[in-house]
Amino acid sequence: MSELANTDPEGIDGVRMTWNAWPRTKVEASKCVVPLAANISLIRSHPDIPRLPYAPLRCKTCSSILNPFSRFDFNAKIWICPFCYQRNHFPPHYSAISETNVPGELYPQYTTVEYVLPLSSNPNSFGNPNLDPAQQLQPSPVFVFLLDTCMIEEEMEFVKSALRQAIGLLPDNALVGFISFGSQVQVHELGFSDMSKVYVFRGSKEIAKEKVLEQLGLGGSGRRQAGAYQSGLKGGFPPSGVTRFLLPASDCEYTLNLLLDELQTDQWPVPPASRPARCTGVALSVAAGLLGACVPGTGARIIALVGGPCTEGPGSIVSKDLSDPVRSHKDLDKDATPYFKKAVKFYEGLAKQLVSQGHVLDLFASALDQVGVAEMKVAVERTGGLVVLAESFGHSVFKDSFKRVFEDGEQSLGLCFNGTLEINCSKEIKIQGIIGPCTSLEKKGPSVADTVIGEGNTTAWKMCGLDKSTCLTVMFDLSSSDRSNNPGTINPQFYLQFLTSYQGPDGQLALRVTTVTRRWVDSPANSEELIQGFDQETAAVVMARYVSLKMEMEEAFDATRWLDRHLIRLCSKFGDYRKDDPSSFTLNPSFSLFPQFMFNLRRSQFVQVFNNSPDETAYFRMLLNRENISNAAVMIQPSLISYSFNSLPAPALLDVSSIAADKILLLDSYVSIVIFHGMTIAQWRNLGYQNQPEHQAFAQLLQAPRDDAQIIIRDRFPVPRLVVCDQHGSQARFLLAKLNPSATYSNAHEMAAGSDVIFTDDVSLQVFFEHLQKLAVQS
Amino acid sequence: MAAPVPPGASRPGDNTSPPAPNYNPNFRGFPDSLADNMQNLNLNRPPMTSNLAARPPPFGQSPAFPSSSPSPGIPGPSPPFSRPGPPPVAQLRPSVPGYGPPSSTLPLNFVPGRPTGPPTSQPMFLGSRPRPSTLLSSTGSPAAPTSGGPYPGSSLPTHPIGPPLLTPGAHPNTLTSTPLSAPQVMPPSGSSGNVMSNGPPVFSSGALSARPQFPPINSASQPPVGPNVVRTPPGPALQSQLPSSGAPQGTMPPLGSPFGVPSWRMQPQQVAPPPVPGPTQTSQMFGMPPPLPNQSMTTTISPAVGQTGAPMAGPSKIDPNQIPRPTPSSSVILHETRQGNQATIPPPATSDYIVRDTGNCSPRYMRCTINQIPFSADLLVTSGMQLALLVQPLALPHPSEEPIQVVDFGESGPVRCSRCKAYINPFMKFVDQGRRFICNFCGFTDETPRDYHCNLGPDGRRRDADERPELCRGTVEFVATKEFMVREPMPAAYFFLIDVSMNAVQTGATAAACSAISQVITDLPEGPRTMVGVATFDSTIHFYNLKRALQQPLMLIVPDVQDVYTPLETDVIVPLAECRQHLELLLESIPSMFHNNMTSESAFGAAIEAAFLAMKGSGGKLLVFQSVLPSLGIGALSAREAEGRTNTSAGEKEAHKLLQPADKAFKEMAIEFAEYQVCVDVFLTTQTYVDIASISVIPRTTGGQVYYYYPFSALSDTAKLYNDLRWNITRPQGFEAVMRVRCSQGIQVQEYYGNFCKRIPTDVDLAGIDCDKTFMVTLKHDDKLQDGSECAFQCALLYTTLFGQRRIRVITLSLPVTSMLSNLFRAADLDTQFCCFLKQAASEIPSKPLLQVREQVTNLCINALFSYRKFCATVSSSGQLILPEALKLLPLYTLALSKSIGLRNEGRIDERSFWINYVSSLSTPLAIPLVYPRMVAIHDLDSKEDHNSVIPSFLPLSSEHISNEGIYLLENGHDCSIYIGDSVSSDILQRLFGVATVDEIPTPFVLQQFDNPLSKKLNEVVNEIRQQRCSYLRLKLCKKGDPSGMSFFSYMVEDKSTGGFSYVEFLIHVHRQIQHKMTA
Repeated sequence: MSELANTDPEGIDGVRMTWNAWPRTKVEASKCVVPLAANISLIRSHPDIPRLPYAPLRCKTCSSILNPFSRFDFNAKIWICPFCYQRNHFPPHYSAISETNVPGELYPQYTTVEYVLPLSSNPNSFGNPNLDPAQQLQPSPVFVFLLDTCMIEEEMEFVKSALRQAIGLLPDNALVGFISFGSQVQVHELGFSDMSKVYVFRGSKEIAKEKVLEQLGLGGSGRRQAGAYQSGLKGGFPPSGVTRFLLPASDCEYTLNLLLDELQTDQWPVPPASRPARCTGVALSVAAGLLGACVPGTGARIIALVGGPCTEGPGSIVSKDLSDPVRSHKDLDKDATPYFKKAVKFYEGLAKQLVSQGHVLDLFASALDQVGVAEMKVAVERTGGLVVLAESFGHSVFKDSFKRVFEDGEQSLGLCFNGTLEINCSKEIKIQGIIGPCTSLEKKGPSVADTVIGEGNTTAWKMCGLDKSTCLTVMFDLSSSDRSNNPGTINPQFYLQFLTSYQGPDGQLALRVTTVTRRWVDSPANSEELIQGFDQETAAVVMARYVSLKMEMEEAFDATRWLDRHLIRLCSKFGDYRKDDPSSFTLNPSFSLFPQFMFNLRRSQFVQVFNNSPDETAYFRMLLNRENISNAAVMIQPSLISYSFNSLPAPALLDVSSIAADKILLLDSYVSIVIFHGMTIAQWRNLGYQNQPEHQAFAQLLQAPRDDAQIIIRDRFPVPRLVVCDQHGSQARFLLAKLNPSATYSNAHEMAAGSDVIFTDDVSLQVFFEHLQKLAVQS
Repeated sequence: MAAPVPPGASRPGDNTSPPAPNYNPNFRGFPDSLADNMQNLNLNRPPMTSNLAARPPPFGQSPAFPSSSPSPGIPGPSPPFSRPGPPPVAQLRPSVPGYGPPSSTLPLNFVPGRPTGPPTSQPMFLGSRPRPSTLLSSTGSPAAPTSGGPYPGSSLPTHPIGPPLLTPGAHPNTLTSTPLSAPQVMPPSGSSGNVMSNGPPVFSSGALSARPQFPPINSASQPPVGPNVVRTPPGPALQSQLPSSGAPQGTMPPLGSPFGVPSWRMQPQQVAPPPVPGPTQTSQMFGMPPPLPNQSMTTTISPAVGQTGAPMAGPSKIDPNQIPRPTPSSSVILHETRQGNQATIPPPATSDYIVRDTGNCSPRYMRCTINQIPFSADLLVTSGMQLALLVQPLALPHPSEEPIQVVDFGESGPVRCSRCKAYINPFMKFVDQGRRFICNFCGFTDETPRDYHCNLGPDGRRRDADERPELCRGTVEFVATKEFMVREPMPAAYFFLIDVSMNAVQTGATAAACSAISQVITDLPEGPRTMVGVATFDSTIHFYNLKRALQQPLMLIVPDVQDVYTPLETDVIVPLAECRQHLELLLESIPSMFHNNMTSESAFGAAIEAAFLAMKGSGGKLLVFQSVLPSLGIGALSAREAEGRTNTSAGEKEAHKLLQPADKAFKEMAIEFAEYQVCVDVFLTTQTYVDIASISVIPRTTGGQVYYYYPFSALSDTAKLYNDLRWNITRPQGFEAVMRVRCSQGIQVQEYYGNFCKRIPTDVDLAGIDCDKTFMVTLKHDDKLQDGSECAFQCALLYTTLFGQRRIRVITLSLPVTSMLSNLFRAADLDTQFCCFLKQAASEIPSKPLLQVREQVTNLCINALFSYRKFCATVSSSGQLILPEALKLLPLYTLALSKSIGLRNEGRIDERSFWINYVSSLSTPLAIPLVYPRMVAIHDLDSKEDHNSVIPSFLPLSSEHISNEGIYLLENGHDCSIYIGDSVSSDILQRLFGVATVDEIPTPFVLQQFDNPLSKKLNEVVNEIRQQRCSYLRLKLCKKGDPSGMSFFSYMVEDKSTGGFSYVEFLIHVHRQIQHKMTA
């Protein structure tokens, strides 16, 4: 990672903004077409970030934290907050401060620092006071496995073996719970030694949290209710809950393995032509209730392994009748989905509960049909959970991803808990909201914008789960009061401060403070500065996230038109052209890639949803919303690398013309990686040349894309699907679908030999550009 | 199923006993005599007084009787006391009262006197009875003759005399004599003469009906004995009989009627034959000398009083030793249900009898309160008696009885009347060369199915009638065809539901239940059709997956007790063969698993609902072990007993409300259970109030029953729990049953009483039915019947056997119709009538103030006696209390009933609820002892001669008979109390209890056997009783001067108590009421 860091456009701060220089007025900002937004990788690791073992200083009025952009009077021992201009005295322990002796957080290059608080002084003590001090220092991660049993034996075996492996990988102090479900929910009491013991909840009835507690025998002791995640475990819960249902992995590994051995698929009879009764919704409620009772406020994950759609009780997405198909995008459009809204509402409620408890829902769905990811998305996303969608529990997409969750070391996901994000910003700036895996904490303040995008109405957000790749998009607006009248009195810089507190995988609490500053662009005249500050990649991702959100939130929203209109407006504003002369159109290099991103976005699974199920769409969007800019950009516009004898591997145009008989192509579209052998290569390979010593070069050529694919796969979660295919093979569609159809059956005659055509009526990039130019220059 | 022999119950095998008839004679004699005595006493005879005194003597004299009998009365005077001793004999109480039989016979003999007889002459009766014997031959002859054989006369005849009083002493004989006092008048005293013939005569009478089973021997022995040892003598007789009966019982109590009252039989039979004579016979009266008792003073009865009074003067009271008491008979009676194409009068329900089904069903299965049917509603009303059937369709037969025959009609199913659907039976009349038959219920003429056709013989009967059970037997079983099934016959599924709440675990109830179940599993039928499941519950419900594939049982908890469900569709109830090991392991570990359970709540209602859901598919038996008040979830109850107590003012008024279910929740559940054929039995092992009134709704509606162990003691109740459970599971039983009773035109069923669910007016649904369950079916006229015709009743029970066969048991009874009131009285069945009283009273307790119920009961008694007095005994003087022989014990039983647990003001609500519930399905043979328990002295068991009867003779339930030096055992078929006086010799204590003083006896009392004859004998006695009752009686130790001692005395129904009259006072009360009515 470290060598990459140098070339990392995100730098130490992990902040990338659509515009790096902002116009001063709301009006001007709206003319910029692409919204003002910042993408922040909350806890990306970076070797240069200092870790400060003491508590930060806060401004006494706005609570922002002391940072290098503050102004200081070392003599008076005073610092002036850059956000509110409040003068704050340094406390006594800063008395030694001087120009030559400043604490870490004031070094100019340390715009991002991490305060690591000693646990003992941590106000959010997560430890269980009933445990011995050693354990208290080291809060245990909690995992509740939620296993669907309505599946065929074969799948059951796959998932069991994955579970066994996972259990083996758990740290010894991790607390583990186990719930299985089918027609009913079975909560396994792992701490009961006499025999296997399970609590059974019916699947057809919604169960309130209090009921769950009461029925698990955890109620009655005045346990604190939802919303108490902050105060955590102060009251001290009876050990019964923890010791009965959640056991240290070291204590229950044997029990769990035994239990998995005995676990059968759901035994309730399934009438012919019916789906099995599966009560995913109730199972999730019960799991949430269990965690809420046992470990409120402590980092805990519900790991749901789901093998089919919920058909029973709340959260159902489809009827049990097999002749009744699972909803499609078409049904959603026509509002012909009797279950959808109710289910979403249910999962929203669940999300609320989980968030209030500080717990995460991870969803591992493996089925050929949909399982309801679209409905459950809200619960996963708001809690910052992981999601993996695969076709089978035996598929590597599931197996390897699942394993990754529990692995230590380089490839580990760095799963953190209980994150909160606070944003401080200069007072001209308003926050509209965040698109990404988090929940608004509804903390109102002067910086809250009137309009809301995503999780808004707040300056603080909760992320029950977050990991090193989590990247949120913050949408900004400017104060509508027009201050440009007296620019002289105003600071030419504006500031943003992101405060992320979280509990690390080791239980350590940390507060990361990132303070960034950017320039105001005082007048439209100064548009060069504006243009230079445009980040095309970030803009593309923000547009993708924004348009996805709008597609979900707004009925009858025409995404393609919306994108086109924005693109045209952008080109009109920033392009260089003579009116009504398309041929005169040129774009500044700062914008030159943007239209292609938009072209690919228009064609992507995010906008062209009809080729996918609502589950897949939801899945892709969740990935889009949580990944960093470069990964997200790959989702929008896959990368293509070409391998051949005559040259080093080189990026190739994402165009059908890149296909050649003697090349190997490696396509990375994030969720899948395609190794595509040209015809000749495939023939050679089939003839076994790579096995002949004299053709080692060929063997190396074959191997190179594989190695590169493995490098990509290694760092990615969920693990992408690896497709190895040959030109004209059926699997080649995974590549062709992503390529620009510059060659179709209509112009096949123009193509060079060995190349390929795509059978489509979609417009090609060239056509798209022609139209764009024409429209952009229209007066 | 046809003749399932209860596991436990092996009857004596002595079928042979039949011959014995003689025995009884003695006893029966008593009854009569008693009655007579009574009469004498009061009434006319100044001598009466003397009589009183005399009576006792009679016994002693008894030996002499035979001849002396006449004198008896006189002699009597001397040995009044004999009582003490006599009681033993008395045990037989049963029906002792000797029915009409005597009378019947009497009539003939006495005719002269008799006719009028009823009136004063009663004494005559006495005398007469014996006569009867002789007569029998003559009169009774018809029927009797056959049986007559018995006479052999050997012995018993004496008894016939059966001076009621005497009963105590077995020597009825003497009594008879006594009674004679009256007799005096009558030459009849001669009756005593019978005595001589003693054996014979009596028997004869008895014989008629019952074959003298014990014939010679008894007679032989008895005569001598009787005389000598007043009581003892009887004993012998009894014993002899008992043995036979006892033997059978030994195996099992099946018979139920431990008291073999030989005497009865006699009567019954007699009755049958001589229906006509009725009037005369009937009259057995006591003369209650009003004057006697001081009280009389007050009464207006004066005239009579005067007379008797004078004599009585000395005593100034009715001699308690002379008043009617049950006289046990010990011999086995042989009973043919029909003779000479006439219905015979069955032996008393409490007697030991062997039935030969000659057309009418065995009285075990169905019996009527009156063995002749009044031709009109008016006549019935006039009689003051009830008309009802008591049906016990799966009653245990005597082992010596022929098994019920199973008839398979193949695919067409049993032949039935096409209009009323009555089943073919011996009383359907074939006409037109057998091509058609006339239904004896609706009168419709049906075509005979072609392949069932058979020509008629010269007698008008089908030629094949004797080969076809359905044409010659009152009880047959038909193989049910598909038409009778809505699904495959259900498997035998047993689901055990065990309370493991803190209280249950700590009192040992859970362990007791688990161990009982564990043992009982081995008694379950083998095979794939036997399914078993187990669940436990406290505030949640715990099911167990017992499937073999699993390495260990899996516990599945259903925590939602407001809205329950079953945690598995399969595997909660699995074939026994597949889970035996798991089950045993599980039952072993349950008590320890919940050892530290701190949950005190109990979700009883939810648990049974959940178990029901698990069983819904198949149906079956749900056996619930519950220890505390259901406090949680569905059907949660409040401790309303306590609430009632705190709010006494309202409580007093609404006291009976506590005996009603708290709400409808259980009722609704129960109806659903019944619909899905789930039969629930509840075992309450508790130490607190559990609201039986509410809980019992479920067992009652589903054909189950409640078992109540209060206060539960792991030490003493574990064995009982096991035995109850074992009997529950191993007794003959059926599932998914439907029962209907049909009656001939003119009579219809008014109402059914018992444990069942009723959805349509004509049928009762029984999720479970077993050999102990009895139903009362009240009848009403909807038209006049034809005098001289017969009226038939048919009970059809469709059920599935344990082995999955679908059967229809058809029980048919055809009785003569009469227009003569006297016939009704002669044919009255005391036990059955009283059982009706009991059940009706029990059913009314929850909805009426107690006082009202008690009054009602008393009025029922008075009305019947008044009717008899007014219409059948007109001749007697108004100063006499005259009781129909058949009903002479009615006042005693009525008094006992009004003092019984259910009708007492005091006592815990649960105890009364349980009593009410227990009574609702109680069989007649057990109903009598429940109200009038039998008491025996056990401190001197070893000193008594063993007369083949294990159980010594009974003592009257009067504290006079309890001495401080004695130890007594009292049992009512359900509980057993052992009372220890405060001056019992330590030697006896040492021998019986292994301790030197009363105080050292450990409080949860467990009967042990020590190595000495007395202790062995006691154990034998207790075991014998258990077998007779089919119940492992709950033993309770009562000590004088202790609250337990007080509770013992509450059984002394003949004593005056805060709750009511003494027996003597009650007779006077009844008498007064009757007189009052007469004059009104």
